[in-house]
Amino acid sequence: MTSRQALVGNARSSAGKARRWALSFVNLPFVLPLLILILLAFDWPLLQALSWSLREPKTHAFTFQQYVEFFDSRIYIAIIWRTFVIAGIVTGVTALLAYPLALWLTRLRARWQVIAICGVVVPFWVSILVRTYAWIVILGNGGIVNRWLLDLALVQKPVSFLYNEFGVTLGMVNVLLPFLVLPLYAAMLKVDRRLLAVAQTLGARDHTVFWKVFFPVTVPALVASMILVFILALGFYVTPAILGGGKVPMVANMMDLMINRFHRWEMAATVAIMLLLVTLAFYGLYQWFRRRM
Amino acid sequence: MVPEAHVTEETPNRPVWLTALSLSVVAFLCLPILIVVPMSFSSAQSLQFPPPGLSLRWFEKLFTDHWWLNAGINSLVLASAASTLALLLGTLAAYALVRGGVFGRRILEANFVAPMIVPPIITALALFFLCAKYDMLGTFTGLVLAHTVLVVPYVILLMSVAIQSFDERIEQVALTLGATKLRMLTRILLPNLLPSAFASWLFAFVISFDEVVVTLFLSGTYLTIPKKMFSELIIQINPTITAVATVLIVFSLLIAVAAALMMRRGGLLQRRREAVA
Repeated sequence: MTSRQALVGNARSSAGKARRWALSFVNLPFVLPLLILILLAFDWPLLQALSWSLREPKTHAFTFQQYVEFFDSRIYIAIIWRTFVIAGIVTGVTALLAYPLALWLTRLRARWQVIAICGVVVPFWVSILVRTYAWIVILGNGGIVNRWLLDLALVQKPVSFLYNEFGVTLGMVNVLLPFLVLPLYAAMLKVDRRLLAVAQTLGARDHTVFWKVFFPVTVPALVASMILVFILALGFYVTPAILGGGKVPMVANMMDLMINRFHRWEMAATVAIMLLLVTLAFYGLYQWFRRRM
Repeated sequence: MVPEAHVTEETPNRPVWLTALSLSVVAFLCLPILIVVPMSFSSAQSLQFPPPGLSLRWFEKLFTDHWWLNAGINSLVLASAASTLALLLGTLAAYALVRGGVFGRRILEANFVAPMIVPPIITALALFFLCAKYDMLGTFTGLVLAHTVLVVPYVILLMSVAIQSFDERIEQVALTLGATKLRMLTRILLPNLLPSAFASWLFAFVISFDEVVVTLFLSGTYLTIPKKMFSELIIQINPTITAVATVLIVFSLLIAVAAALMMRRGGLLQRRREAVA
């Protein structure tokens, strides 16, 4: 290559670079309005919360004291531990129920598939408050099930299904199931049927085909969706507030109490930042699994 | 190919236990709706099932209650404002994100979608601090901006798909034939995106209408349906709530059907274009 050619080449590529650089701004006016809104009404408030968590309540001086209190205090750790346990149980139960349901959906005939999927999507679409309220109607102390039990004299006094960990778990599983069923169903539809046929031709029995071929292929989708459900469960506020009756506070309810009852804004901000960090960490994990799907 | 045909013809394997388990899970999912709707037509004050008699008394109570009506109007106005704003800003942004021509596309998109991933309680708290600082707690403006931020991710996701499925070459042809960019967008792209835009608007509307957590923190004395419902549920059980629940179920199902029809229309347009090509 002569020096002249190299020069021309360089000039071209630098012109190309400049053009690409200019081109990367032509559509900027389209994003600008939303960017301003998100910066002002989302990013900036989150940064504010961070600064609240690092400020001394009276003097507003920089301090780590809230974070020290967070890790020292038994109450915070206990509630966060409970949140993790409940979110973990909810995720596990949801996965155990969602996987067979998604599998069954893929094996239905087309018309029944549509109907059954409606049965999953319709509740998903209905307000979480309505679905949570319904459990009070069904399982509450004066609810349908307890009336039946009392009428049939099976129990002497109402069974407390709700206002404990069981009630919260039940309500959360009900709300979160579609978040697992729908992505799992989509992932299962994508599994190459020929793969299963090959295994069968090679003499594998149904049981072996499922556990050695089908299940492993769907694991990344299962794990990714489970992480997503876990993240959603960690931040739940409505279900524990209503079905826990204040007896089973989770992190979100604790934050509410700190703001509205104890007026400890700095501490609430600290808990929010910690929850945000945990959420982002799990979200990173989710993206990692999704890329492997 | 022969093997494929062979597999699809094979009757799928559905053991009885799998069917039984799956049907119970679907029943578990639908149970809340199946119970609440008949209960709202009950004539009884207590939660008896099946209802001893039918009556519309809870609906009558609901529609004559000043507080519920007020909350309903507030919710409708708030959700309309927020979803309209979100549709406008979100569609514009989605266009640039899909077609390129913005610096740092990935980061921008991640930032726009973040409100969907960050737990609502954190957003609620952060916005609470902000609104408290600028004296915006309980204001309509504060609520609209907050709801817009919360529903914009859904608009971005849906409209990105819609814009992606519109052939960019049609835009280029319009520009080559001398249309200005604005003319191309309003006369070529926008009419084709209308059904999807309407579906996105409906989607955003329902999410905003049902929003509880952020509203609880920011609304002050401003009453919305979910807020009133939440506070009633915390205090005591009132059969009027079953009527509210039924109205909400019917309302969201109607919107879902409308949105599905719109999405289908968007998809149909696309299929017809493919047939022409």
